Amino acid sequence: METPPTCPQTECEIDVQFGQDGIARVALRGRLSMRTVADCWDKLETKLHGAKVKELEVDVRGVGFCGGAGYALLRYLNMGRMTPGAKVSVVGLAAGFQTIFEGFTARDYDAFHPRPQTSSHPLVEEAGHATRQLIVDMRDQLDFLGIVAANLPPSLVNPKRMRWPEVRHIFVLAGANAVPIVSLVSLLLGFIIAFESAQRLADFGAQIYVANTITVVMVREMGPLMTAILLAGRSASAFAAEIGTMKVNEELNALETLGLSPVRFLVIPRIVAGVLVAPLLACYSILMGVVGGALVMLGLGFSLMLILHQMAMSVQLGDLAVGIEKSVVFGIIVSGVGCWRGLQTQQGPSAVGLSTTRAVVTSLLLIILADAFFSTISYFFKQ
Amino acid sequence: MNEPGDIVISVKDLSIGYGDRVILEKVNFQVSRGEIFVILGESGCGKSTLMKTMIGLNPPQSGDVWIEGGNLTAAEGDERLRLLRKFGVMYQSGALFGSMTVLENVRLPLDEFADLQDPLKELVALSKLKLVGMAAAANKMPSELSGGMQKRAAIARAMVMDPGILFLDEPSAGLDPITSAGIDLLVSGLARHFGITFVIVSHELASIYAVADRVIMVDCAARGIIARGKPAELRDGATDPWVHRFFNREADPGHLVQPT
Repeated sequence: METPPTCPQTECEIDVQFGQDGIARVALRGRLSMRTVADCWDKLETKLHGAKVKELEVDVRGVGFCGGAGYALLRYLNMGRMTPGAKVSVVGLAAGFQTIFEGFTARDYDAFHPRPQTSSHPLVEEAGHATRQLIVDMRDQLDFLGIVAANLPPSLVNPKRMRWPEVRHIFVLAGANAVPIVSLVSLLLGFIIAFESAQRLADFGAQIYVANTITVVMVREMGPLMTAILLAGRSASAFAAEIGTMKVNEELNALETLGLSPVRFLVIPRIVAGVLVAPLLACYSILMGVVGGALVMLGLGFSLMLILHQMAMSVQLGDLAVGIEKSVVFGIIVSGVGCWRGLQTQQGPSAVGLSTTRAVVTSLLLIILADAFFSTISYFFKQ
Repeated sequence: MNEPGDIVISVKDLSIGYGDRVILEKVNFQVSRGEIFVILGESGCGKSTLMKTMIGLNPPQSGDVWIEGGNLTAAEGDERLRLLRKFGVMYQSGALFGSMTVLENVRLPLDEFADLQDPLKELVALSKLKLVGMAAAANKMPSELSGGMQKRAAIARAMVMDPGILFLDEPSAGLDPITSAGIDLLVSGLARHFGITFVIVSHELASIYAVADRVIMVDCAARGIIARGKPAELRDGATDPWVHRFFNREADPGHLVQPT
């Protein structure tokens, strides 16, 4: 059993002898390493399978090297797994190894039960669970809204309580750094809408109204919505991941015990930055979309003056107000949901990933719900 | 090849650092088979970085690390994989995979590299867990364990493929004295019975005196090794005041503001 081996042995040899009265003797020789043990196992299985053994003696005196896999094989034999009902003894282990070998008993093995696989639940149970989760979630959301509402006015009234450098930092991260992607997406969106509507309107000889379409659509709807979607993807996820990681690292607990409210310290600056950044980005997005549309119209042969005139005629200040109102609400939703999901983070390695996913999904859901609400309200108000 | 006493790790003219910053310059030392070798030094002086370089995670600025006669620093592809299989590593935080149970963590290398029957894999993993006293927690998720338990499970994972060398980064930091002493016993037992070589990064003086055959002490200011030898000899015979303080656990009077 000692390393180094007495002679170079690369394989393991097995000798099984069946005596009288159900007494069997297994002699192992050579190396019992990761590589040889699988083969040993197969040989032993074939030889011992079906044999009526009452007593089994495993002799390991000839073993030159015994690794972890070798021990596992000896233990498996010793527990009588290959010879059910037999009394098994392992002989020939060196003294030091005997204690290590005996340290692991059949009781240890029996105490081990593999974790049961998660079985599927009946549909009703799943639905009930999901509903309860939804109610808990909504209550939690309401709680969060209340805490934010309680913390916001003091922070706004007393500038010393507001962490303006943090607001500025987040403003740069969520706003200024998002300008390239917002530019690209909005410009191409303008292109797409202009091209799609130009085809249809050409049938009626009304291509000039592409300018109206693009302006109304961008100002009232697509500008704020695209900005909100991009913010949800870039910033809601970032807020959730950042706060979630802080929670996992117990930084939130540290804030609490220092007497600092995580909501005032982390959430309020993000919401303020979100509310400021969303309308600005939305205005920029509207501008880029309209530029994209105008480029297409120039390509269709209209003069710039005509396009600009048509565009200016199609919207009023009220339309822009609707767009900006929407984007303010979207800004609150994106930053609020990002922070809320971050604060909800549980322990464990996948927790932050889960919060990030939830933050984006919940933001998108609430954005589209809010948008539908706005459209319905404005429709009835017009009447 | 397996003679006790032959050199298994050889660090030659190793310089490590980040970017322009040099942490250790031209370090040389060797570790023999079956030896318990401890790297120590003040916090933030490159002990863990040195270990990361020795296990091939961190490319050195210059110099080489030889493991069992192969140059790990220069090795690539299959040769690198072959050298990586010679040792196991326990990281400071345990680094157990959070999505798997403890047993699955320990079994993972077996599933990937060993051609064994399922019950045998399970038994190998379970017996390694038993060695570190963690068999009862085999079915738990790492997030359900305390820091010390995670470390012990990580040791089991490091030794599951029967490596000849084990690297342990701060094995007893944050453990209660009983568990810590248990790990000391495990380390010396594995070294004595199986001839496993240990390279340990540690601060724990008690544990160093209990198990270490030889230590080296790295220092920021000197950018190298300022002391090497047997721990008890350094405790009693160190001439360098800093080394003397370290091994006798004495505070540096000029180091901290002391409330009086």
